[in-house]
Amino acid sequence: MTATTARATGSPAPAVARLAQQRTWWERTNKATLVMAAVTLLVFVFFALATDNFLTLGNVSNLATQVAPALIVGVAMTFVITAGQIDLSVGSIVAFVSATCAQLLVAGWDSSLVFLAGLAMGLGWGLVNGWFTAYQRIPAFIVTLATLSVVRGLALFTTEGFSVPIESWTAFARLGTARWLGLSSSAWIALAFAVLGVVLLHHTRFGQYVIGIGSAEESVRRAGVNVRLVKMAALGFSGLAAGVAGILIAARLGSGSANSAQGFELTVIAAVVLGGTSLLGGRGTIVGTLIGAVLTGVIANGLTLMSVSPYLTPIITGTVLVVVIWVNLRGADLGSVLRKLTGAR
Amino acid sequence: MSEDLLVELTGITKSYGPVRSLRGVDLTLRRGEVLGLVGDNGAGKSTLMKVLAGAVQHDDGEIRVKGRPIRFSNPAEAQAEKIGIVYQDLALCDTLDVASNLFLGREPRRGPFIDRRRMHEQAAQILADLHVKVSSTHQEIGTLSGGQRQTVAIARAVSFAPDVLILDEPTAALAVAEVESVLRLITAVAAQGVGVVLITHRLQDLFRVCERITVMYEGQSVDDVPIGELDIESLVGLITRTGVAADPADTPQTEQEATA
Repeated sequence: MTATTARATGSPAPAVARLAQQRTWWERTNKATLVMAAVTLLVFVFFALATDNFLTLGNVSNLATQVAPALIVGVAMTFVITAGQIDLSVGSIVAFVSATCAQLLVAGWDSSLVFLAGLAMGLGWGLVNGWFTAYQRIPAFIVTLATLSVVRGLALFTTEGFSVPIESWTAFARLGTARWLGLSSSAWIALAFAVLGVVLLHHTRFGQYVIGIGSAEESVRRAGVNVRLVKMAALGFSGLAAGVAGILIAARLGSGSANSAQGFELTVIAAVVLGGTSLLGGRGTIVGTLIGAVLTGVIANGLTLMSVSPYLTPIITGTVLVVVIWVNLRGADLGSVLRKLTGAR
Repeated sequence: MSEDLLVELTGITKSYGPVRSLRGVDLTLRRGEVLGLVGDNGAGKSTLMKVLAGAVQHDDGEIRVKGRPIRFSNPAEAQAEKIGIVYQDLALCDTLDVASNLFLGREPRRGPFIDRRRMHEQAAQILADLHVKVSSTHQEIGTLSGGQRQTVAIARAVSFAPDVLILDEPTAALAVAEVESVLRLITAVAAQGVGVVLITHRLQDLFRVCERITVMYEGQSVDDVPIGELDIESLVGLITRTGVAADPADTPQTEQEATA
């Protein structure tokens, strides 16, 4: 501790206490996330009124299960995007892990070993992305675009494009059907990931450096932080999360397919950005990602219950994405227009 | 006098590809003195200070800190030797708050978690001690004025309790009142025994706080003069090399001059 900081122990002077005083809840809250929470609530209420089955325990539980993989990977993707990086390979890693885990089970591996192998494969691909990005200085966009192709290609090559069934009696398959307090194992694991994400991003040095790197990487490097290791860890986390999602998807569906999770990376990135995490880096919110993932899931689920053509779902989701981000970016402008119209100051 | 010597740079060179930024620089810094480092744009002042702060690795030459030869491979090693620097670009993170920037890379922890309460209290104490005017340690750096950002950056460097403090253009973006407070701060820091290197184009500031001036020209150190022997005009002459012919024996030749 420095000579200056040593004096900070004990009870601080009033002026010092005033400087250090915590801001109000409103000042601390990410306004983009708040807008998203309001939109999600509105969409939720709309579907609850428009359909008979939306607000039932069974459907909400089903919704949580559907949202879980995107939320799990979204939490990790929040770190990647906050650090000013991107990971386009998560969908391919999900497919690779799900297909390979199914193949290992068919080959007679014990479920516990397959779980570990699935996690290791996800982490491994994430670290490959991280190493090329952080240590070889190839932009993450290029690296993960390449692994997007390579990883799914490997899965297709080994399975020849066929879906690999998983025996329902294995512990691996039982994970997919396990439930507790009305929610599936996927939903609980996703919730645990969200809590882990909040703690890591906002309460640890790792999270602090992720935000700092996204804001000004050189400044963090000059502060003596190993920024390359932090960037590699963020992409490694993303790969690990994709591995978890791959395991859960294979376990739930009872099969592993190299064709699964097509376009999954875009769903995840949309959820993260919808929640208020800046694509430019330096700002991230796990709660926002949770809201973003739930909103995209609610739209898909609600439209299905309304018997709307499934082809309309991506159109509506995309439109909501653009409108919400536009409102967030132009919020101040809209606010001043409203103030002028109402004559308020 | 030699026990007062904090830093001794001898024959420091640094090239970026074909560009020779530093061509053999000598510099000394004593405990408790404020050394002005001046030179025209591109003279190599900032590169030299990055070498001393461990942000850039030099090619050749020797760095001695408190008599010990040393070579920094990263900024953390220079920090460990109590060498602090405030860069011209301030090296702050706009989306982190004031306290997080003050403690970037050394956040107080409780177990694996950042102890934010302690961090903010300590940050507030540091800012209050240095009379840095910000409304809250929770304020994001990106919302501060240029002057406030500068003082936060200096407060950050001073909070490391450095033996050597390098300030690269600390007053360039400041209002008059803020310049005064920074200069007072520099004098106060030096009075505590810290050796301060001040890089600035505001020559009038040098006469307020410095005891000695080292002049750089095209990657070389060409003059080392007590401030008492200079006035603004003669200092400008040393920087631009317009008046050096008057006393050639005191002035080492630059490589360019030698080969001309």
